[in-house]
Amino acid sequence: MQPDGGDNKIGGQIGNVAPGEALKTRLLTTLRVIVTAPQNIGAVPHGTRRTAPLSGGDFDGPRLRGTVVPGSSADWLLLRVDGVLEMDLRVTLRTDDGALISMKSFGLRHGPSDVIAAIGRGETVDPATYYFRTLPRFETADPRYAFLNRLVAVASGDRRPEGPIYTIYEVL
Amino acid sequence: MNSRPLLLLRLTTAVTAEIGSTPNGKLSIFPVTGGSFEGERLQGKVLAGGGDWVTTKSDGTIELDLRVTLETDDGALIHMTLTGVRDDANNYFRTLPRFETAAAKYAFLNRLLAVGIGEIRSDGPVHAIEEIL
Repeated sequence: MQPDGGDNKIGGQIGNVAPGEALKTRLLTTLRVIVTAPQNIGAVPHGTRRTAPLSGGDFDGPRLRGTVVPGSSADWLLLRVDGVLEMDLRVTLRTDDGALISMKSFGLRHGPSDVIAAIGRGETVDPATYYFRTLPRFETADPRYAFLNRLVAVASGDRRPEGPIYTIYEVL
Repeated sequence: MNSRPLLLLRLTTAVTAEIGSTPNGKLSIFPVTGGSFEGERLQGKVLAGGGDWVTTKSDGTIELDLRVTLETDDGALIHMTLTGVRDDANNYFRTLPRFETAAAKYAFLNRLLAVGIGEIRSDGPVHAIEEIL
């Protein structure tokens, strides 16, 4: 499918990528978070809810490195009736040069029941054996990191006993 | 990150309701009057009645907040939402669609994350949506 140009109803000409072209991504950072004991809210109308506060963590990558600010960072988890775990991670990041960045990511995790059970027992499992993907968005007031306000990202998760590792890619 | 094509979504929109400047930016609402979608695993039409709540922020970027109902050619209804960012200064228009359906045949849509590449064409917006593998 080729772009056919034409007038634009909302603004100037956009789209340097033809619909149908494969998605291109580039590594942004790798985020490791440390999860503390979850608060089990229990059965709610949508599923089973629990909240996992983060006690810290760090991130390292070509354009983004620093630490996770504890206290305002947690993952709000909802185990749906179809067995899919919905994740709503909200993390405050502090870069090594002092910028504060708010990150929110919605994600899904699911897989074969024996794999999910092994993760539940705190075992380290090959992340290729289950689906763990998230969609981070960023907000910052720091002009050095304003590029983060303008991008969409995808992340691949790896649930380790101490907490997940997210490899975060900018969607180009 | 690996992906594979999920669907190509074409929307038709009606005259915009310009809400104007709000504390969050300049809000415009695009009613969706219809459209179509096609892909290897699902195809059909977009039902009228949805819309896109579009906010132009102080940094010039545009946030999208779209809600539509898709009807497949075999009669299943799929609730689709889509958020995203449009940054015309950098020719960047990427979106994060989500799907909800009760149709067993399309339950795989409930379990996937996707990214869309958007483009505004003369006959309406087009979103090429990739499943994140």
